[in-house]
Amino acid sequence: MSAADGLPRLEAGQSADVGLLLEGTYPFVSGGVSAWVHELIAGFPELSFGVCFLGATPEMYGGLKYRLPDNVVHVEVHHLMAGEGWARLPRRRARRGTPRAGTFEGLHEAMRTRSAPAPAVVDALAALDEPGGLSLHDFLHDDATFEALCEEYDARHAGESFLDFFWTARTMHLPLFKLAAIARALPRFRIVHAVSTGYAGALGALVRRRTDARFVLTEHGIYTKERAIDLAHAGWIQGSALRRLWIQFFEALGRMAYDAADPIVSLYEGNRLRQIADGAPPQRTRIIANGIDLERFAAGRREPSQGPPPVAGLIGRVVPIKDIKTFVRAMQEVVAVMPEAQGWIVGPEDEDARYAEECRALVRTLGLGDAVRFLGYRPAEQVLPKLGVAVLTSISEALPLFVLEAFAAGVPVVSSDVGCCRELIEGRPDEEGDPAGSAGAVTGIAAPEETARAILRLLRDGEAWSQARRIGRVRVHGLYGRERMLDGYREVYGTALKEAHGGHRLRAS
Amino acid sequence: MAGIGFELRKLLDRQSLWGLVRAYVYAGVISSGPWVLSIVGVMGIGLLSVGRVPDLEVRQFLVTVTYLMAASLIGTGGLQLMFTRFIADCAYRHEEPRILPNLMGALTVTAVGAGALAVPLVFLLAGSLAVRLLTVTALVVLSASWIAVVLLSSLRDYRGVVGSFLVGYAISVAGALSLRPLGTAGLLGGFLAGQIVLLLAMVSLVARRFPTDRLVAFDFLDRRRAYVSLALTGLLYNLGIWIDKLIFWFTPSTSEVVLGPLRASVIYDIPIFLAYLSIVPGMAVFLVRVETTFAVEYEAFFAAVRQGQPLAEIRRRRDRLTLAVKQGISEIFKVQGITVLVLLLAAPRLLEAVGISRLYLQLFSVDLAGVAMQVLMLAVFNVLFYLDERRATLALSATFCALNAALTIATQHAGPPFYGYGFALSTAITSLAGLLVASRKLDRLETDTFMRAR
Repeated sequence: MSAADGLPRLEAGQSADVGLLLEGTYPFVSGGVSAWVHELIAGFPELSFGVCFLGATPEMYGGLKYRLPDNVVHVEVHHLMAGEGWARLPRRRARRGTPRAGTFEGLHEAMRTRSAPAPAVVDALAALDEPGGLSLHDFLHDDATFEALCEEYDARHAGESFLDFFWTARTMHLPLFKLAAIARALPRFRIVHAVSTGYAGALGALVRRRTDARFVLTEHGIYTKERAIDLAHAGWIQGSALRRLWIQFFEALGRMAYDAADPIVSLYEGNRLRQIADGAPPQRTRIIANGIDLERFAAGRREPSQGPPPVAGLIGRVVPIKDIKTFVRAMQEVVAVMPEAQGWIVGPEDEDARYAEECRALVRTLGLGDAVRFLGYRPAEQVLPKLGVAVLTSISEALPLFVLEAFAAGVPVVSSDVGCCRELIEGRPDEEGDPAGSAGAVTGIAAPEETARAILRLLRDGEAWSQARRIGRVRVHGLYGRERMLDGYREVYGTALKEAHGGHRLRAS
Repeated sequence: MAGIGFELRKLLDRQSLWGLVRAYVYAGVISSGPWVLSIVGVMGIGLLSVGRVPDLEVRQFLVTVTYLMAASLIGTGGLQLMFTRFIADCAYRHEEPRILPNLMGALTVTAVGAGALAVPLVFLLAGSLAVRLLTVTALVVLSASWIAVVLLSSLRDYRGVVGSFLVGYAISVAGALSLRPLGTAGLLGGFLAGQIVLLLAMVSLVARRFPTDRLVAFDFLDRRRAYVSLALTGLLYNLGIWIDKLIFWFTPSTSEVVLGPLRASVIYDIPIFLAYLSIVPGMAVFLVRVETTFAVEYEAFFAAVRQGQPLAEIRRRRDRLTLAVKQGISEIFKVQGITVLVLLLAAPRLLEAVGISRLYLQLFSVDLAGVAMQVLMLAVFNVLFYLDERRATLALSATFCALNAALTIATQHAGPPFYGYGFALSTAITSLAGLLVASRKLDRLETDTFMRAR
């Protein structure tokens, strides 16, 4: 089935095996999670996949960044923050007798008490703008909504800017109406698989509540933590009270997803513990580490005898979370000692154009115009062989594929101590088959001098360089191959499909 | 132009009785000046012609001008309000260069409309060809003048309006008196000359203030900027103001033929036009209140919303705005009430002094109350226009028009003692209904500001 936009669509009544719920990633944004999704789909040619892409506003995304595998039978695209449909809403009178006030009370309660929204709350959210539920019109225009808003304001926000509070509340709740509509119109999937909490996870919980689909949740990073970092950079949120409100909101959506999902997959032990702390039931959590296609990166590997090329490269989107500026500052120190050294920033700059411009301005200010280059997006397997050392300065990561790819291509890694980067570089002594020793260096967050020292040591000490790349290669082959990851999901999907076929026939009929 | 409100506030801020008196006199002159000048001017032409021109011809002149006023006001009523809103929006968006070309566009529309009406009128009207041609020309000029008046008023250039009227009516009176020997045609010709000067004076004021390189534009008819409901409101409001007069003119038992199809109702017309002169104090209060307290509180409320003040502050601002409306209305009520009382007491001697029969006393008294209520109604409408309650004002103007028509017809059946009550009751009921609507809207002002945001 092909719609006007060339994307495959299921028609009414048709179904697929797995519905991937993706927020701001595959197939329109390239990056680690997107690459992982692509690998996952390609790894299960026997299953049919649907993709439900949730974005913010249409102008934030370009075209497809991946060639869709043949087993993707459905792609639908939604923009939760887009204004269409709200501004031109007919100002008809509200339907009388619909339960209005109280629809969101349960959600707010869950936000405040840090508890999982009760099933009745999820039902109310799923019924938004449906006969019997709170209508979008009432939410936007009814007096009862305004009164509820004023009560909430007077009780907990008195003294703050009412205008900001009002628009925060609107912006926060409006996407829920869209999510409810998306959940209702979604094709039938035997499994819905959300690859983050947040809106995607909430959508999974709504679908789980409404249909007999099984709900699998995978978290690469920790969504609420990443949103908190985004919010710290967002100029449009005035004041810390409203920022806290947003964080509470995303935490509540997260608990809603944890409450409904089985299993709840994370990439490594640190994140699994974090999920449990955030409300995930421990017995439903499990770890499936990322894995990569080792062959793809083995091809271009350099001969060790050639020594390291004097290039430090950072592969990643140019966004604040990657802290590109620390890499630039580190390169200043590297170049001061090693004038022939080069720093490459390899990744798309369109996601946060303002931040990208700030980074370029920093390069100019520090006089690094010749040494630090922005290369835009390039396939990792083409770039990695040209690097002497791969660098990661992120302030938040989970299990970055870039590190695994660097190991596979024979490049040592200098990484900030985020996610499981220390585990990747220094090893997991308890794990069978893990070679002892360091595959690079671990640095502090936002520590340009330390990063520079680590880069210099690896670029200038041929012995240390050879040692690090050997350990990295052995480790990635032992623990982080693609097959190992696919085996994990084969088990997850298999169990879920069995349950979808077996125990829930009654609900389906 | 914030000038007028600023000047009034300056006078009021002096905290002296003299400042207060000057503020209200000033406001009285600029708010009622055009109104008073036109009634006094036209009646003056009439009075000064008695004895020099045959009585019938004087009456023909007076009735023709009355019809011209009624027709031009009703005919442009819709465009007046629509155009007022357009100009206010232009000023708010700082799109001043649009003003002059759109005035030219509005004048073109008016002239074409009135002109199209004028062609058949030449054949329908009675009198000499000169009288008929002068009449239809005056219809076009007067119609155009109202558009210029509302433009200057919505830019708060009341002084420009009053000045233009002063010059225009001085020429009208002088012209009419010097052309007296030519009879009806002479009176009309002189009057028309002054009206043409009035129109040109106002247009040149606009042209001088807002120079532009575009000659003519019709943005005010653009779907995205024009409000059809306002056009309908303006038409119904003006029709409502005149409909009781029209009914009296065209009911055979209360009227007589003056010039062909033009009829007049001596018994009804004289008291009401005299009564209209009494609204000066109420209009002065209205202008002072709207331009000072209300405008300031209105701005302050929306500033509080926009600047992100706490809800408590927004509500406090809402309360102060409500208080300003209450005070303004009650002040109009008091001042105009006292005026009406004084005039009621003085009425017998007053009528005697201008040489009008005591038979009119009863109707004059009722009309005094009626026009007082009309001032109140105007104030209420103005508050509702500020609050952008277009649906309410449309409903109210329709109610007013229908009530005035129905009650006037009813009083005609009830007999002469009841004449005038139709007008007085309809203005009173409409004012009251409008007050209730305004009060309800003010109560939920912050709700509507947020929940009905466009």
